[in-house]
Amino acid sequence: MPDRRLIKNFDYTLVLLVMALYAAGALTLYSATRGLDGLPDPLHFVKRQALFFGVGLACMLAACLMDYINLTNWTRYLYAGNLLLLALVLLLGHEVKGAKRWIQIGIFDLQPSEIAKLVLIITLAKLLAEKEGKFSGFQDIFIPLIATLVPMGLIFLQPDLGTSLVLAAVLMGMLYVTGLHRRFLLALCLAGAAAAPLSWFFLLKDYHKARLLLFLNPELDPTGLGWQLMQSMIGIGSGGPFGRGLFNSTQVRLQFLPEPHTDFIFSVFGEEMGFAGAAVLLLLFFLLIYRILWIGAHSKDQFGALLCCGVAIMFTFQVLVNIGMTISIMPVTGLPLPFLSYGNNALLVNLIAVGLVLNAGMRRHKIQF
Amino acid sequence: MTKLMLHRVRMIFIMVIAIFILLSGRLAYLQILRHDYYWNRSEKNRYARVTLSAPRGEIFDREGRLLVTNRPGFGVSLMDMGDGYDRETIEFLSELLEMETEEIYQAIRGQLYMRYLPLQLKNNIPFETIARISEHRWRLKGVDIAVRPIRDYREGSTAAHIFGYLGQAEIDEYTRELWAAAGYRYKEGDLVGQDGIERVWEPWLRGQDGEQLIETNYLGQAINYLDRREPVPGHNLYLTMDLDLQRVVEETLARWVRIIREEGNKHAGRAVAVVLDPNSGAILAMASYPSFDLNTVRQDYNLLQDDPLKPLNNIAIQGYYPIGSTFKMVTGTAVLEEGLFRERDIITCPGVITLYNDTKSCYRNHAHGPVNFFDALAVSCNIYFYQAGLEAGIDKIAHYAREYGFGSPAGLTDLPFEKGGIVASREYKAVATRGEAWYPGDTMSAAIGQSYNSFTPLQLANYAAIIANGGIHYRPYLVQQVVDSQGRTVKETVPEAIRRAQVSDRTLALVRQAMRRVAQPGGTAWYRFSRLPVAVAGKTGSAQVDVIERGIPSHSLFTGYAPYEKPEIVVAVIFEHGGMGESSAVPAAAEIMEYYFTGTIEGVMDTNARSAAD
Repeated sequence: MPDRRLIKNFDYTLVLLVMALYAAGALTLYSATRGLDGLPDPLHFVKRQALFFGVGLACMLAACLMDYINLTNWTRYLYAGNLLLLALVLLLGHEVKGAKRWIQIGIFDLQPSEIAKLVLIITLAKLLAEKEGKFSGFQDIFIPLIATLVPMGLIFLQPDLGTSLVLAAVLMGMLYVTGLHRRFLLALCLAGAAAAPLSWFFLLKDYHKARLLLFLNPELDPTGLGWQLMQSMIGIGSGGPFGRGLFNSTQVRLQFLPEPHTDFIFSVFGEEMGFAGAAVLLLLFFLLIYRILWIGAHSKDQFGALLCCGVAIMFTFQVLVNIGMTISIMPVTGLPLPFLSYGNNALLVNLIAVGLVLNAGMRRHKIQF
Repeated sequence: MTKLMLHRVRMIFIMVIAIFILLSGRLAYLQILRHDYYWNRSEKNRYARVTLSAPRGEIFDREGRLLVTNRPGFGVSLMDMGDGYDRETIEFLSELLEMETEEIYQAIRGQLYMRYLPLQLKNNIPFETIARISEHRWRLKGVDIAVRPIRDYREGSTAAHIFGYLGQAEIDEYTRELWAAAGYRYKEGDLVGQDGIERVWEPWLRGQDGEQLIETNYLGQAINYLDRREPVPGHNLYLTMDLDLQRVVEETLARWVRIIREEGNKHAGRAVAVVLDPNSGAILAMASYPSFDLNTVRQDYNLLQDDPLKPLNNIAIQGYYPIGSTFKMVTGTAVLEEGLFRERDIITCPGVITLYNDTKSCYRNHAHGPVNFFDALAVSCNIYFYQAGLEAGIDKIAHYAREYGFGSPAGLTDLPFEKGGIVASREYKAVATRGEAWYPGDTMSAAIGQSYNSFTPLQLANYAAIIANGGIHYRPYLVQQVVDSQGRTVKETVPEAIRRAQVSDRTLALVRQAMRRVAQPGGTAWYRFSRLPVAVAGKTGSAQVDVIERGIPSHSLFTGYAPYEKPEIVVAVIFEHGGMGESSAVPAAAEIMEYYFTGTIEGVMDTNARSAAD
């Protein structure tokens, strides 16, 4: 039985926020998928996502049980196991639309790149917490850097540009929080800036480049991806202040919108609920991230604080890039919107991440004997 | 937690705030400020308008016989059935329709996001091909055999110049606006009347296209059929033309051209006839020979244009002809009406006359001896009319020519481009020759229908009609009645007397008597008309065309009416280079009248008899 004090510190707000986001996601998911061709049951996606939400909630609660500090003992195994999965997916994964992201286990498709985000947050939190915020030089960031670049590289090979960028953002954010001197941050940024043109010419494939540049002028390519991006903006813009109403998205019904249940689910939400709905949704995300940061700031130790900050950075980055993509201020990189986009792995991992944050929140005060 | 870390977390939080402000700002911009723009874009996304063509109005003759209609033509279309176009189907179609597969693929690519429209591959496909496609229908995916109206001219080349034909509109901006102002919307490629009634009556025949609003998906496939505005069929036209008579007129012209060519007149080729009702101006028949087949005119167009006989031209209203002796009623009217000659005044014809240093003669220098007005017209004595012309003067001759409707269009507005002809006059010569004076010799030529005088066959008929009906110039017309698709009469033509010729009834009666003499024993046209059950009045003519080149036969002309006592029809006929009036125009006119009054033509037999006798 957990301590009474632990229960007293349980952050119900965070759970309610997650449930509200999931509810918005489930309704939009129904709207986006009920008309899909060849679907035996219009609720197919909704049911499957609900199943994983249930499992995820259980995992979230389970993640609260044991003091998160114990994670530091398992970090190396989690990290190694995740690298193994990332390597396996490149060998065994089945290909969907030119990318190998999933390993099929029974009816479940395991997506190691989603797991990698949380594993990296835990790993970096452990590595950086040991430094106790006292960074002196490059040797201190060398290990975290390598620890990030290895999974990042494997994910990039799938290829999954979006998720590998999440890892980079998490690394930068966590180094910053840890107190890395601005000089080093600047140096890292410059290194990244220098790597950008190199990767542009040597790493990125043409379709990547096209997608990255499209948001600058989606009308340039009115037949392909740019056209899809335009359809997203048309959907959101036509929603207006109050939206067309739930389940009334014409962009979905007439199949103008690409990936309406995954990457572009926000377009459906924006079209149906309008600016009012979108603002409420943004507010929910904002409160979620605020609560996570608050818990991080009140953690009893560095590890907990870094864990929370890592999760907050991950969510913020994904919200920015996903919604930003649908309204054409961010490149099309294919990141899901947390709790809304259809994706079993992402939902599960996000819920466990929230569970770890809740865990840190419950144990925010040092227990006095 | 260190102070530095806390500070950094706060900085992260500030960045989060900034990110959310950025996102909500952009959303406000798209969903509030730009809402109208994206709303319109989404409407345009979703809806497509498909034109439903209105069936074009039909054309009937005065007896209600169907002349021009629409026949279902078979067209093959390819449709995207939701999973793209089928390769095998395309290969099969390419073979059957004799189209390259690449041609079909190109058409598909050209369609882009218009997949809600069946892709029209080919129209007017022979029935055998349609049958073969139907046999293989089970393995052809998305193939649609559509029935599309094709204008069907039941009579082929009959009355081709009256009906006119359709052609694809090549519409410049100016014309489009002009039509739009009149309430008609045309698209590039629409079929529009190019000539004849099809052209002039285009707005009535066309009807109003309907429209179907379709909701489409991202591929342009139709998802929902929404508002539908039914097309309004075009109005039907009932003509004054009589199909049987028109056929007879055309056959008669063709037969007489053939006859005189067989007789060795290699210059003969074109002929034209107008038959109208002198009591209303209604045109009963109007033919230009040679004609062309309206059903194939679009394929034959270049060939027809290169033909030296210019079959496409409606010479009945556009051809200019010197009308020779048929003009003599004008000169006669001038002297009688002005009191210069009395009808019984005698002029002695010596056959040849030299006046003003110019020697002129009657036909083959034949001396007619003493002739009065009636005799002179009956035998077509040139000498009499030279004298009469000199007596009246060119100004009076020109004046009465205009009274009889020459020099300006007769007023037919049912066909495009009727021409007005040229009345020989002092003023005209001054302009044509840049200031040359008018000489008495010119007056003599003009008095017998030469000089600058040149008129259209319709004017020649209208002239006889004015004389026949006692001086009324009726507007010639072809469209009697306009009836809408529900059978309601929309418009009914009432005969319109444009003006009254300022010629006294007495003079007109004298002229009619003289014209009667032409078709009586001793007159130039007696032989041919003697067989008819009714009394005919008219005038023959042979007009010199090109005095410079000797040996080219003159135009052969006749204009007249029947019955003499109570005129029912006017017939005007011209055979280009057909020789003397009696050699072609007169017998052709006689046969036309014979058919009108008896329903048959004995003249055909007679022609053979004549040929045998020669």
